[in-house]
Amino acid sequence: MRKFLSIMLTLALVLSLGMSVASAEGYSGDVKIWVADNMVELTKAKAEEFKAAHPEYKDMNVLVEAVGEGDSASNMITDVEGGADIYGFAQDQLARLVAAGALVELSDENAAIVKEENDGGSVAAVTLGEKLYAYPMTSDNGYFMYYDKSVITDPSTLEGVLKQAEEAGKKVYFEINSGWYQTAFFFGTGAFVTYDVDDEGNLVKCNINYASPEGLDAIKGMIALAKSPAFVNGSSASNASDYAAIVDGTWDAQPVKDALGDNYAAAKLPTFTVGEKTYQLSGFGGFKMLGVKPQVDEAKLAACDALALFLTSYDVQAARFEQFGWGPSNLKAQQLDAVKEDIALSALAAQLNFSIGQGQYPNDYWSTATGLGDDIIAGKLDDMTDEQLMERLTAFQDILISLVK
Amino acid sequence: MAKEDRIPEVDIVVDHKAGVIREVHPPHKLRSRKGHERRVNASIYVVLTIISIIWLAPFVFLVLQSFRSYITENGGMVSYLIPKQFSLDNYRFLFQPESQYLRWYTNTLIIALVCAVIQTIMVLSVSYVLSRMRFRGRRFIMNMILVLGMFPGFLTMIALYFLLKQLGLTQQGAIPGLILIYVASSGMGYYISKGFFDTIPKSLDESARIDGATRFYVFKRIIMPLSKPIVIYTILMGFMGPWGDYVFASYVAFGKSESYNVAVGLFRWMNTRDLQGYFTRFCAGGVLVAIPITILFFILQRYYVEGVTGGAVKG
Amino acid sequence: MAHKFARFFISLPGRLVRGLLTLVSWIGAFFKKIGSEIADIVQTFVHGDWKTRVSYVVMGFGSFARGQYLRGILFFLFQLVFNLYILFFGGSYLAKLGTLGTVQTTTKNRVTTYGDNSFLILLYGILTIFFIIAFIYTWRVNIKQNKISEQILKSGKKLQSAKDDLGAMADSQFHKTLLALPMLGIFMFTVLPIIFMVLVAFTNYDYSHQPPGKLFTWVGLSNFKTMLSVGGANFGSTFSQVLLWTLIWAFFATFLNYFLGMMVAIMINKRGIKLKKMWRTILVMTIAIPQFVSLLYVSKMFAADGLINTYLLKWGWIDKALPFWTDGTWARITIIVINIWIGIPYLMLIATGILMNIPADLYESARIDGANAMQTYAKITLPYMLFVTGPYLLTSFIGNINNFNVIFLLSGGGPLSMELAGNAGYTDLLITWLYKMTVNDTNYKLAAVIGIIVFIITAVINLTVYNLIPSVRNEEDFQ
Repeated sequence: MRKFLSIMLTLALVLSLGMSVASAEGYSGDVKIWVADNMVELTKAKAEEFKAAHPEYKDMNVLVEAVGEGDSASNMITDVEGGADIYGFAQDQLARLVAAGALVELSDENAAIVKEENDGGSVAAVTLGEKLYAYPMTSDNGYFMYYDKSVITDPSTLEGVLKQAEEAGKKVYFEINSGWYQTAFFFGTGAFVTYDVDDEGNLVKCNINYASPEGLDAIKGMIALAKSPAFVNGSSASNASDYAAIVDGTWDAQPVKDALGDNYAAAKLPTFTVGEKTYQLSGFGGFKMLGVKPQVDEAKLAACDALALFLTSYDVQAARFEQFGWGPSNLKAQQLDAVKEDIALSALAAQLNFSIGQGQYPNDYWSTATGLGDDIIAGKLDDMTDEQLMERLTAFQDILISLVK
Repeated sequence: MAKEDRIPEVDIVVDHKAGVIREVHPPHKLRSRKGHERRVNASIYVVLTIISIIWLAPFVFLVLQSFRSYITENGGMVSYLIPKQFSLDNYRFLFQPESQYLRWYTNTLIIALVCAVIQTIMVLSVSYVLSRMRFRGRRFIMNMILVLGMFPGFLTMIALYFLLKQLGLTQQGAIPGLILIYVASSGMGYYISKGFFDTIPKSLDESARIDGATRFYVFKRIIMPLSKPIVIYTILMGFMGPWGDYVFASYVAFGKSESYNVAVGLFRWMNTRDLQGYFTRFCAGGVLVAIPITILFFILQRYYVEGVTGGAVKG
Repeated sequence: MAHKFARFFISLPGRLVRGLLTLVSWIGAFFKKIGSEIADIVQTFVHGDWKTRVSYVVMGFGSFARGQYLRGILFFLFQLVFNLYILFFGGSYLAKLGTLGTVQTTTKNRVTTYGDNSFLILLYGILTIFFIIAFIYTWRVNIKQNKISEQILKSGKKLQSAKDDLGAMADSQFHKTLLALPMLGIFMFTVLPIIFMVLVAFTNYDYSHQPPGKLFTWVGLSNFKTMLSVGGANFGSTFSQVLLWTLIWAFFATFLNYFLGMMVAIMINKRGIKLKKMWRTILVMTIAIPQFVSLLYVSKMFAADGLINTYLLKWGWIDKALPFWTDGTWARITIIVINIWIGIPYLMLIATGILMNIPADLYESARIDGANAMQTYAKITLPYMLFVTGPYLLTSFIGNINNFNVIFLLSGGGPLSMELAGNAGYTDLLITWLYKMTVNDTNYKLAAVIGIIVFIITAVINLTVYNLIPSVRNEEDFQ
């Protein structure tokens, strides 16, 4: 029934788009968009195409400003009124933005289209409760491993990667003080942490089992990694030097290509061994999305809806991939040959089999995780017994649970 | 150090009183003194040379890296210092319109110039009044400023942001907004110039007042001409301040890149995830900011020293 | 010095009691003053002529009727602006100040209608209160002027003309002319925001109570309880950690730089050392180059993959990168050391200036008494420096408590630890923690609490030192 309804709605929308000249009232004021720095030109060009295709919006004044995904979320929360009408952000900010009143839910028509055209993970990522709050833009917000073919001959085990890097005097970058990259270890051993969120963006429950044998193996894996002289905490390829391997995402494909040249290679994350057991590194698979902020003017809301939908459509996602290698969430764009053949995206696809879709996490999750990671890097946990490590994990778990008020 | 070396180590004192001091040296001790002196001086030279290297190193590195091309070599961090090939690509990039660097530079220059003028007027007004005039409420004003100064600066950032927003002075209006904020409370930094005014004898004003001069006349024609060092110091401070402000400037610009100052723009090149590989361009941009300020500073160094010293002594 | 400290702290209870008594007597005097003012207002009304009496309702009427047109018009305009402000703007905000707004934001068909904005209610509410106080004051001045004018006219003299008034602004009232603008600026952009933020500490203003979408309201002292609670990795213990480090940092940043800077100055200024100007110039470069350039660069130099570690590894001096920024203790030491690099040039300049002023005959007599170099330093140079720079050390200590730039640009407050709560790191000062709370966590209520605490600490240090060092206290001492 629901599927039928959504198809009907899609049909209705297609029809109405066809007749839009006659029916829509149009909008001619300002619309401000915040996107990442390297997206500005592309977004401007695509916004012009949008205006050309929709006469009722031809006088609309689209302002595109460069505000990265991290900054845009905190700016929107600081001052919704002063912020952009349409803005890009990473999925972990969704609940926070909804709670702060900085996102308006999608209209039923647009929600139906989004569900229809994008992969399931990305749709789940923009959904809180029953409602969709944003338009999926990429499906590539996950990480895998880039490596130097000439140094690393076998990228399948972490121990092997570290050994070969050490021998070559090169480095291995892995940002284990980030709550995002850290989960590679935790989720890899089978530990988990997720939060249940209601449709107003409030946390209602924390599901976690970090204080467990699985969590213990994960933290031991990180300690072993941090002990290696080759290890450097970091994940930003162009601020990294002399690396044999770096755990990073598709957005850094270009700098890695530049640095490694012919030796450029990428693979799923390696396995790691603790005691007898070997685990595959896991991690978050995430998404970037565009959101529309609450509007007081109905005509402007309609204009923002239409523009946001267009900016996340097949056409624009394909262009984004072609120019910057951002992996599309659009199902049709995912079928492009170039997308399928891309080294980085293939590695990501391989890794996504082991990754877990990223849900909503409170802001303090990230700083608490950084605390744990910094402690490991600083060597504070190096000489701890299993009991002491378990105490740490219990404390960590308690903090994460306490974040649900 | 040996017994003989008792006279002040401060050569300037010696400059003034050289004759007198030298005459009282006991002649028979002069020779051993000289040998000792040479050893001491030699070790001081060694220390000073090491210090100089440490102090200069980061700037030399900065300049070196600014010559590494982001096109043909690598714009990010690398593990070597001297570029394989010296290139001006980074500097060329700065002068292209799409980098917006010139825009940010102009913004900062405008802010700095306006601040230098208005801030100087404000500071001199307050310090002159508090130094030369006695009226009801004077102590209250001084105490109030003292107490206000004890609140940490960033406390009010969010409130100031919304105040400016109410006035329409954020985002597009960030430049006048920033000027307003920098200038508005600048009267609170009156201490140094008040200390200077305090040293000008009061009898000067009084005799002029007896001759029928107004307060305004005394301020304009008697005090100001005597205050050149402190005026220049205040202008210099007002001019140099805005170049380094990242935190508040980025808050007020609120994502509007046309309204950035150089600090915000360059800071983003260094710290934004989407702008990787801008490191060498950051270095080049930093060098271009540092050059004019350094030159200006060295020309006016004498006044700066006077101000800082006076400020330290008088609080 | 030590016995001075001891004496100060022994006398502390007595001082506190005396302070309280003074406060009580001030409050008493304040109410007495109000009483006499009201009495005078009534007296003036009873004895005044009709022009004066009309001025009670229409400000400036008396001045205008007696020919002081400029004053009359100004008074009247002020009243007009005030009335319009209260009627159309301030009044409604003032009325909601008690609740900080009750009308919720609503959405209908996905279109939002914003309700009350707690932020603006608080901000404009405070502004309105100040405007009312200013109005009462002006109204009182207006009445006083009527009384004075009546007396002057009765004694047969002439009133001041507008021209006289303008003339006075450049002469007898010159201080008002000069102070008007700076004081207005300080009031609008320092006093008002500070009062606003102090009040925020008593509300629940954070990201989940973010205007205009949501309301925030008064919560009493609960934020202070959160911040000062003890036990575990919570805000209380984190707060004491951060506070302790703030004080340690301020101590080293002030005194280490002070002594090292003085030593460098003495070395450069020593007789027989050549190229003085060059040494000084090299050092002073760090002042001229903006910190965001030099510190950001230096911070990258010390990173795990930065220049320093890279070269040390390359030369084989170490086999694992030194944890300059990743280990709490290392990071603290690194910051203090780098801060020497920043601080020495200032101190060198200051010390040079002061050393020049030490009277040479002091050294002369020391020499005749047979004192050696160390003794001269300990007995003459150092005490003189300390005495003269007492106030500087105080301001510098306070300045370092609030030294945002160095920490922010070098380490950003990191590294974090599970042992610390609220996103605080091992090198976070109270001020950088406050910044993080404002910008990263939009936790304004706790940021405001930290701000108030910083104020209290600063005030206590200031008062203590003021009582200990006479040269700080006496404004006229060094004139």
